[in-house]
Amino acid sequence: MAITLKIQRFLGEKKWEQEYRLEVETGMTVLGALIKIKETMDPTLTFTASCRSSICGACAVKVNDNAVLACETLLADLLKRYASDTLTIAPLGNFTVLRDLMVDWQPKYDRLKKIKPALQPKTEFSASEGCRQSKDEFKKYSKNSECILCGSCVSECNKSNLNSKDFLDPFIFSKAAKFVADSRDKDAVAHLEPAVKDGLWKCLNCQECAAKCPKGLSPAEDIEKMRIATFEKKMSSNEGSDHAMAFYDDVKELGRLDEAKLALKTEGLKSALRVPVAYRLMRSGKLNPLEQAKPIGDIEKVRAIMKAAKEKKL
Amino acid sequence: MRYALFPGCVLRGAASEAFLATVKVTEALGIDLVEIPEWTCCGASHMQDVDELTSLAINARNLAIAESMGLPVMTVCNTCTLQLRRAKAALDSDPELKAKVNEILAAGGYEYKGTSEVTHLLWVLASNPGLLDGKVAQPLNGLKVAGYYGCHLLRPPTVMNYEDALNPRSLEKIIGLLGAQAVDFDYKLKCCGFHAFWTAEKDVMQVTGKTVDNAAKAGADLLVTPCPLCQMQLDMYQPEGREAANSKAELPILHLPQLIGLALGMKKEELGIQRHISAVDKIRF
Ligand code: SF4
Ligand code: SF4
Ligand code: FES
Repeated sequence: MAITLKIQRFLGEKKWEQEYRLEVETGMTVLGALIKIKETMDPTLTFTASCRSSICGACAVKVNDNAVLACETLLADLLKRYASDTLTIAPLGNFTVLRDLMVDWQPKYDRLKKIKPALQPKTEFSASEGCRQSKDEFKKYSKNSECILCGSCVSECNKSNLNSKDFLDPFIFSKAAKFVADSRDKDAVAHLEPAVKDGLWKCLNCQECAAKCPKGLSPAEDIEKMRIATFEKKMSSNEGSDHAMAFYDDVKELGRLDEAKLALKTEGLKSALRVPVAYRLMRSGKLNPLEQAKPIGDIEKVRAIMKAAKEKKL
Repeated sequence: MRYALFPGCVLRGAASEAFLATVKVTEALGIDLVEIPEWTCCGASHMQDVDELTSLAINARNLAIAESMGLPVMTVCNTCTLQLRRAKAALDSDPELKAKVNEILAAGGYEYKGTSEVTHLLWVLASNPGLLDGKVAQPLNGLKVAGYYGCHLLRPPTVMNYEDALNPRSLEKIIGLLGAQAVDFDYKLKCCGFHAFWTAEKDVMQVTGKTVDNAAKAGADLLVTPCPLCQMQLDMYQPEGREAANSKAELPILHLPQLIGLALGMKKEELGIQRHISAVDKIRF
């Protein structure tokens, strides 16, 4: 079957889309198609790849606006998914493009360094004895070791799309979470602090990263875990942590959310400045500041459960 | 067809019009809903940031009550659906965790078994299109509708696995069955930002404005969403969104059951559409 690949090209200042028509062979991957184009049609087409076995992370590109590893993605599957004989291929989003499908990793490595991506062993460990930990302790972060730094998770990250200056890449949060969870590391806060400073509470929870990771990591969940750790380490609060705490407290007090007081609990007195919005909501009946929230009938049972959960931490 | 309804805080609070529309529409379609008694907040994707086990336990409690009713659970909110399904997936795949959570639940006299499935109104309708047969009294012919999915009904796909997260079709299917035309637009699967309203406000306002602008430029007369949180964000903050995104677009933003209600011949007042903030006058039914 003949298909059309519309590939985004970039050279210097020039950006254009180029169409290639080719025959899909059985078992042909996106990478297979790119190689075939380069070898038989257009030697100037530039892309990166190395292992061809989903290990090196070099080949991620966007197909129809969704990041995939080119070497493991079958064209036949994509044609079926999009019910079309035409696909668009573009470089990963939220990267600087060097040429065609090739992106610049150097700025990402510089950002990665911020969260101190190396184990700082506890003082009880030594070179001769090594750093021992139990199987259960290892399991807490082993998934995160599978990250191949392919960049798929940041490509469509909704927060990075809007502004990545105050927000680290999802895989960087996953990397930080790995060291926070590693029982051999002596200072979780050293990884947490830069994560908080660079956007830990700004994640939109859109779950794009989890949907795109070819290795099954969930940066979104890692962000949650680090948020929990900021409470455990008694790090100072902010609007994000106060907001999360407001939900916890409301469930304990009432079983449900007290919408009328949510803004106050989250933002403190600053919320009084939101008068125009509040007025708009009151006028349409969406917000009633005078409403007294009452606890649900079974609130004592809920409290008993919450108390039991607290005593039996994960 | 009978479900245990998990309305969630939003339907019982700021988006009570979505509750109203859900009740009216399900009644008209012959779907029987029984509200889960004494349900609690699902944690709204925030509570697990404080304590994962507590968040899991309170949702296991919600599910345990539905199980004792002998009914599958239906919600009308993306985030509620995710929170409940996430708890269910975690408990059903890990017997040790399930045992641990059941010890916690015992403090309140509950037991989680794993017998009730969790679904969303959109999925129920997309899987049972026959429910709409002969009910569309006022087909929405000529109406161009932007279907906006919202994140948590699609992602993470390991938990929200009703359809292909990268190319979902359920919403377009329902829009079509109502006689309207689904318009495709670039922001269809993006995030409205609701959950980061307090921490990334500038970004959130910008994406609110861009989403509405993008849907309007694609030719939509209105936008519909299966998530009341997306609805709130795109409706209530449209004025701020317009300013942030430098846009003039104004679109009505409807809850899914409201759009269905209109097609069933209900009036906009009956469906609480006048409670919305943005462009309600553009809805003429
Ligand atoms: S969940 Fe957070 S980190 Fe992941 S893609 Fe969305 S905004 Fe980015
Ligand atoms: S977390 Fe997953 S998607 Fe992100 S860089 Fe690592 S392997 Fe790639
Ligand atoms: S070429 Fe190495 S992951 Fe694809």
